[in-house]
Amino acid sequence: MNTARATTAGHVEWLDAERQLSHAIFIAAGMRCAACAGSIEKAVAALPGVDNVTVNVATHRVNVQFDASRTRLERILAAVDQAGFRALPLAGGAAVAAQRDEKRAAIKRLGVAGLGMMQIMMFTFGLYAAGPNGIATNYEHYFKLIAMLITLPVLFYAGAPILRSAWQNLKMRSLGMDVPVSLALLLAFTASVYNTLRGTGEVYFDSVAMFVFFLLAGRFVEMNARHASLSASDALTQSLPETVARLTAAGATERVPVADIRPGDRLSIPKGAVIPVDATLLSASASIDQSLLSGESVAVNKTAGSELPGGAVNAGGVIQVAALSAIDASVLATIVRLLERAQRDRPPIARAADRVAGWFVLGILLLAVIVAGGWLLVDPSRAFSAVLAVLVVTCPCALSLATPVAMAAATTRLARDGVLVARADAIERLASIDLIVFDKTGTLTQGASAAVRVTDTHRVTADAALAIGAALERGSTHPIAQALLRHADAAVVATDIVETAGLGIEGVVAGCRYRLGRSEFVAALTATQRPGEQQPDYSSASIVLGDSDGWVAAFELTDPVRPAAAAAIAELRNSGLELAIASGDRPAAVQAVAQQLGITAAHGQLSPEQKIATVQTMRAGGRRVLMLGDGINDGPVLAAADVSCAMGQGSSIAQAAADLILVDDSLQGVGRAIKTARRARQVLRQNLTWALLYNVAAIPAAALGYVPPWLAAIGMSLSSLFVVLNAQRLTRR
Amino acid sequence: MNIVFVLVPLGLVLIAAAVWALFWAVNNGQFDEVDSGADAPFRDDADPAAAEDGSSKPRDSR
Repeated sequence: MNTARATTAGHVEWLDAERQLSHAIFIAAGMRCAACAGSIEKAVAALPGVDNVTVNVATHRVNVQFDASRTRLERILAAVDQAGFRALPLAGGAAVAAQRDEKRAAIKRLGVAGLGMMQIMMFTFGLYAAGPNGIATNYEHYFKLIAMLITLPVLFYAGAPILRSAWQNLKMRSLGMDVPVSLALLLAFTASVYNTLRGTGEVYFDSVAMFVFFLLAGRFVEMNARHASLSASDALTQSLPETVARLTAAGATERVPVADIRPGDRLSIPKGAVIPVDATLLSASASIDQSLLSGESVAVNKTAGSELPGGAVNAGGVIQVAALSAIDASVLATIVRLLERAQRDRPPIARAADRVAGWFVLGILLLAVIVAGGWLLVDPSRAFSAVLAVLVVTCPCALSLATPVAMAAATTRLARDGVLVARADAIERLASIDLIVFDKTGTLTQGASAAVRVTDTHRVTADAALAIGAALERGSTHPIAQALLRHADAAVVATDIVETAGLGIEGVVAGCRYRLGRSEFVAALTATQRPGEQQPDYSSASIVLGDSDGWVAAFELTDPVRPAAAAAIAELRNSGLELAIASGDRPAAVQAVAQQLGITAAHGQLSPEQKIATVQTMRAGGRRVLMLGDGINDGPVLAAADVSCAMGQGSSIAQAAADLILVDDSLQGVGRAIKTARRARQVLRQNLTWALLYNVAAIPAAALGYVPPWLAAIGMSLSSLFVVLNAQRLTRR
Repeated sequence: MNIVFVLVPLGLVLIAAAVWALFWAVNNGQFDEVDSGADAPFRDDADPAAAEDGSSKPRDSR
């Protein structure tokens, strides 16, 4: 149908071939209420050539149809800007259009099935209500023919996805739940057509139509749940621009695809645009909005040399930045990849349900054969109706819906609470957590916002020492590096950088080899002990810089506890969870933080290997461990825990290893996530129990012929609907 | 009762019309976004002055 194309601004725009109108979708950031939506609609509708504009308050999406010969897209975006909102590009326009088309097709099918079902019921009611003598044969025959006529589009248009999926299942030699369903539909329809044409015998057109309608209704609800859980991460996954302005060496501007950005490229970011990759600010100052990344919509002021995460939005004037990474290594791309992986992953319990469903379907088919055999011996006239009832009533729809809808609802709820689920099965494991282990730096403390102070220098000035330190830490996302990077000097460049996790960094600056990190690590290079090391204040950490000639400088970092940490920790303890700290920092500093937060188990001075060993010992003792971390050290230990959670502002290595990501860095998200996971587990159990009980109870009744096919269709559908609605409770507060 | 043989096909024509209307509405995006209709009473009406000078544009069709 429509061919989408990306404009230079990255906004999705396509041509509606029928009406010769261009169509564009973008996100208007800053929208908070219905009145905002109204003012955007008014501003855009006032432009010449705009045919139609709709604004969705919930998803912040603006949908415009316009005559491209009279108004350019840029003009529309400018109008949105003038109205006080930022028009953000939406790179995943093709996905949006696909989702919209899927929903439209589903509504059409549902409508056809519903209208058809009601008509058929009307005619078959005439047959049922006629009493013992029946109605005149010519009317009866006529009504059946009409019902058959209406069943055709209901079964073969509205029911097409069910039949197609069953056919694909058979081609793949697997048994999905659509196989017995399609078998029942086609059997009932064929028998009814045969009976109609020969003029005697039962017809089941009403049951066929009703079954199709209720199946589609269940799937419609499930589709909406799925779309909702996708749109929760929409703004993030679809905010990447498709091209960016790069400055050439001569100072000219060229447009290049974001995929071509290389570290070191100088990029010009206009107001309101997304910074596509992690970058260092070259302009004197900038105001950026990280709401896409953290959900926190506050503009943050940055000065030259600060690092800007990919995915942040430039809220101020035009800025120039130097790319630090290629697009696939940026913070945003990492988060997008994690989300995509989570959406692909199927939780083990769901996979198990799929396997069970295969055997279940085989069982149903065997049972249908047995029931047919039994009734043929007892009363052949009732055999067909009993087999149909068995096939319909046993449809394991509720069973296979139970897990996906519960997980989709829980994921949506968690995303709303600021917790991204990177691995789908994490929700199940999270529900049984009883011990939480925290890393200290950057998790319980603020990390990135730590202040750095030069306490001691030797042979260089304090500023030069800071510049060397910053140059060495350039590629690192460790909290200490974040603090040092604020002192970066573009003229000081480090090469041959090697980072040793938990110890420090080695690199060459201006021909001289330096080490920066813990004193024992640096001592290996300097071959001398640093004289007169004083005991630093508890809330700070000290690292040293040295070259092969000896000590150069000592830095002290002050790293206060996160403001909301105490409340969040107290809440976690009150909900019966045990808490512990495992940190690489000095025991004194760890103890101080532990005391401040009231955590009794605090382990300090742990190497990454020791951290892993600590977590493994806890797990061997039967504990279910949730590990929270954020640094480059934390990747392996996160992977060693039952469930792992990384801070959204932490390193991408930690995020790649984590099951959950706290987007707004708020520890309160942990408590909420555990609560939601426990409720999700409860809902999942209710759903599975319900689905099994329903099937177990309904099968004997259907096999014994107590359930007419139409009642079987209603029962099956209500059971699926129950499962879906039960899961939806999770998204509510 | 023979009128049934005329009225039922007539009913089918009405159903076909209803299906056509539904398809038309779906294709024109009437069901794409059903959340914000509830907010409509709280939105400002189109500028009355603009309406008078005839320059107002068709607003969204919801």
